[in-house]
Amino acid sequence: MDILRIALAWLLVWALGIALVRLLYARRGDWPMPHPAWVGGVGFLLGAFVLTLLMSAVSHAGGSFDRLTIGLPMLLVTIGLWIADVRRQGGTRNVATTTSAGWRALVARPAMPSLGWLALLAWLVVRSALLLGEVLRQPLFPWDAWTQWATKARVWFALRHMVPFEPAQQWLTGTAAYFDAAPHYPATVPLWQVWSSVALGRFDDALMNLPWWLLGVALTLLLYGFLRDRKASPLFALAATWMIVSMPILETHVALAGYADLPMACYLTAAALAGLRALQALSLTSGSPTVVRKDDAIVALMLVAALPTIKNPGWIWMMTLLPGLLVAWLPRHGMRIVVAGLAIGVALLFLLGRYEPVILGYHLHFQLDVPWHGLVEAYLSFDNWHLLFWVLPVIVVATRHWLVDRELAPLTAVVGSGALFLLLGFSITSAAVWVEDQSTVNRATLHLAPLIGVWLVLLVRRALESGAPALQEHAHREDAETALPVTAPAVAVAADGRDA
Amino acid sequence: MAHTDESQRPLAERAIVLAPEVALPAPGRLALWFLAGLALTLLAYLALNVPGPWFPSAPEHFWTAHELQLTRGNGTKSDQEWVLQSPEAGSVVLLSGDADLRSTDYRVFTWIAVGVPPTADVRLLWRNDYEPGKVNSMPIVVESGRLRPVMTTGNASWIGRITGIALAIRGPLVDPVRVRGAIARPMGAVAVLEDRVREWTAFEGWSGTSINTIVGGADVQDFPLTFVVACAVAVGLALVALSRWRARLRLRGFIVAIATLTVLGWLVLDLRWAAVLGRQSVETGNVYGGKDDQGRHLVAEDADLYRLVLRAKDVLPATPQRIFIAAAAHYFRGRAAYHLYPHNVYFDPRSDRLPPASTMHAGDWLFVYQRPGIQYDAARRMLRWEGGQTHPAELKMLGQGGALFQLL
Repeated sequence: MDILRIALAWLLVWALGIALVRLLYARRGDWPMPHPAWVGGVGFLLGAFVLTLLMSAVSHAGGSFDRLTIGLPMLLVTIGLWIADVRRQGGTRNVATTTSAGWRALVARPAMPSLGWLALLAWLVVRSALLLGEVLRQPLFPWDAWTQWATKARVWFALRHMVPFEPAQQWLTGTAAYFDAAPHYPATVPLWQVWSSVALGRFDDALMNLPWWLLGVALTLLLYGFLRDRKASPLFALAATWMIVSMPILETHVALAGYADLPMACYLTAAALAGLRALQALSLTSGSPTVVRKDDAIVALMLVAALPTIKNPGWIWMMTLLPGLLVAWLPRHGMRIVVAGLAIGVALLFLLGRYEPVILGYHLHFQLDVPWHGLVEAYLSFDNWHLLFWVLPVIVVATRHWLVDRELAPLTAVVGSGALFLLLGFSITSAAVWVEDQSTVNRATLHLAPLIGVWLVLLVRRALESGAPALQEHAHREDAETALPVTAPAVAVAADGRDA
Repeated sequence: MAHTDESQRPLAERAIVLAPEVALPAPGRLALWFLAGLALTLLAYLALNVPGPWFPSAPEHFWTAHELQLTRGNGTKSDQEWVLQSPEAGSVVLLSGDADLRSTDYRVFTWIAVGVPPTADVRLLWRNDYEPGKVNSMPIVVESGRLRPVMTTGNASWIGRITGIALAIRGPLVDPVRVRGAIARPMGAVAVLEDRVREWTAFEGWSGTSINTIVGGADVQDFPLTFVVACAVAVGLALVALSRWRARLRLRGFIVAIATLTVLGWLVLDLRWAAVLGRQSVETGNVYGGKDDQGRHLVAEDADLYRLVLRAKDVLPATPQRIFIAAAAHYFRGRAAYHLYPHNVYFDPRSDRLPPASTMHAGDWLFVYQRPGIQYDAARRMLRWEGGQTHPAELKMLGQGGALFQLL
């Protein structure tokens, strides 16, 4: 019964997110609806973000957290969004048609390699079931989860509204504020735990972590949907998805729920991929850089907005997305500008390092001191990432012709900026110590790792498909034409992606 | 058509680089190359690491705790192990056993011990029948509290018949060191492989460091499985390239080979990881299965503290109170705070120092758990702690290892 309550509460969040995403993608009818797995995955992320905005609003308006004040508005908004979606599609019959077609696309067995696809799916389901068992039975276990995240959840749930947490100096003066190990950390993660507790009616530090498992599911779905929308075969898309979500440190963050690193990884990956989907229109329209898929752009912006509300480095991760935008905007000179900009940025950081400033809680030093031993252990020796960082340089060298390819250059810029941020963070800040003792290096890398995985998959795929450009164009046209009756029957799209 | 901001380029540029008509390597054949790569990697490792014959005839020789004597230092023997403790600086503990082994048959010596401090000077000692009056020694490396195997091959004193062995640890040994025994091994190829497989398949259950890093088997590994699989992929790739030398392997074929071999290598690592997850799931079920929130905490690592906090909460008013937490271990400070929320708790996440008494006010509370240095004078109703700090207080609850005071 307890599990049912929490499951229903989060299904409502998910339904809200899916309804929102469907409506966003329906704003302009000139593109087919994305793959249902993408809609489902991104839908959960947006629903969970909207939930925290709603809870903050309720608290700031003086309301108290309960099923009615949070659940009812969510339910009403969800119903409203679904009604709008039905109206937009001209009635329930069309919605039923597109929805069932979407589900068919989601669960449809691939034509040829069905055995491999089903075996992989079964493998993922078994893993997911094991992780769900851990999430629902293991009391809050990892350190920061009970010193700086769930601390807030426990207080806010008990008081039924948000109260400030302040540093020790303020607390000791006798303010009414609370204190924990990281009072300046944002509210998103604890608010998810509060919503679980509200739904349950009590604080249960195992069951309240269901959203971490759902994040794992959402990441799986959105990766698969993204790759399918890029015309990857079902088996290729599922195999790539399995490889990305099966990295042990990622699954550990699902099983030992309560940290903000997995949410950051999911939102950053989804934001970058939604951005890439938006920018993909540039290559399809073979022309003006001002034409992007606005629906994807809006989804991307919403996901980007969530980043700093998850963890403070979200601000930096936001900035690492900008080079991708610049490269897409200026295909000819963008990459050079990005490289030059990053070089200037690094130089400025070194200059700033002379004064040993503190940025987002990290002390900057002047000396570059790369903790190689710790990095090799984390990336290559231990099994945190399976073979990700072994295969990374091999694939980058083998597919170097496509790194700055127009289609992939934005993602290359984002991954490159992110990697530079990580390397600098580990080398010129106080975080270097945490690399050698393995306490932070993998958690920080987790934010970027799924995106690195997708980037490598796209590079491989790009290299493989480039062998037959003429055939590919033909296939693309066929894909576009066959996809349309399923998702957008009223719209025709020409082979180059523009409206017919 | 190229982008307006981009220079014109020939459409067929990549078609020139690649040759799509060249047959790609078949997945089945690539799987065989991967297996061949794995076999070659292991063979190369064995060639470099088996110290003597690959298939020796001598059996392994064990010393149990009963076959070892404490000849110097402090220690006690239980059924299966010696527990050594010697907190004085520079103290030496010596654990010895009789032997009668041909030195040429045994090339690796391992002491089975846990809890060895990294600062300890640890040595393997032995006598031989060649120079009976001489005690020979080799240093032993300490890793993660355990003793690394000692390779005796190449040591000039490991000759003749070995007549006695000993473990020498120069302390201080503040925490107990547990020694279960010793093994002398001929260390053929099978034994080396068995050791590696044991390291790869060692169960790595959830621990405090799991959220930060997943080692992938035993804490200390001679040849981590990730290295093995990566080498197998690399060797497999080289074999693919060599096998298709005449057909001139093109870039596309090479990328297909990279992708396929990587998937296979990934699968090997993932099978190991999934097995760990499966076993962990069983362990979690055994400990926490079928219990509610309170039931789970009552069997968790900090169950004693949790019980004490439950008692304290019964004493505390229902409305949130300001509570200072004192505990020597930062784990217990944090856990006590976590269990005491939604009371308005204060704990120092980094040091066990209490804040100045001037920051504590009448009506506040102090929760103490396993914290030496805090004294309570019941007659004067006065708390006193380091630095001569005092505060009037009333004892409200006393329990195993802890207490709750209300400040006056």
